[in-house]
Amino acid sequence: MKNTIKVERAKKDLTQQDLAEKVQVSRQTINSIEAGKYVPSTVLALKIARVFGVGLEEVFSLEESD
Amino acid sequence: MKKNSILNVPLLSPGWKKLAYVFFFLPVILIIGLALASPSMDPNSAGEIFYGFWAIGFGILNLTREKVEDEMIRSFRQQAFQTGFFWMIWGLGALMLVNYLIYDRVTTEIFTAYLVLFLLNGYIYGAFQYQKFMVGKEDS
Repeated sequence: MKNTIKVERAKKDLTQQDLAEKVQVSRQTINSIEAGKYVPSTVLALKIARVFGVGLEEVFSLEESD
Repeated sequence: MKKNSILNVPLLSPGWKKLAYVFFFLPVILIIGLALASPSMDPNSAGEIFYGFWAIGFGILNLTREKVEDEMIRSFRQQAFQTGFFWMIWGLGALMLVNYLIYDRVTTEIFTAYLVLFLLNGYIYGAFQYQKFMVGKEDS
């Protein structure tokens, strides 16, 4: 699953730490999600999309291999 | 979503890690004390004391909360328990095979509850730390 968290963060001028605090996870978790190493739960994905004020599918999308 | 409370595993506060480390060093002192008090002590008993104390130490570490216990850490913990059990089964299988090839039987005195608990908790701890290391490595 790919995501546009890095792009959305840049738009909102948020650091990984800022986003982590807003969704109540560690910065390492945000970093792992951004790098595609960890797939977040539906609840966390929805929280992240809500922080950016966009729909879930604008942040997360499936890849060919999924 | 609410979880079924019967399946909930309450984790210990991070301060318990200090007690876990005590369990790693305590058998060393205990064995030295016992060896001085009773020089004819069975060497297998010493091994059992080490395995028992280390099993408790690793057990406490495995059930102690991280500073930030978020969903990724929870998924690492679940994976660690699964992987640890998997490694233990195959490890014991390998030991039984070696024992069979050398001594022509699968059972041996070394398979004690203390040893199995030590290996299981040690493998779980290893699998958990490995996942955290991989995340930290990619992070840096």
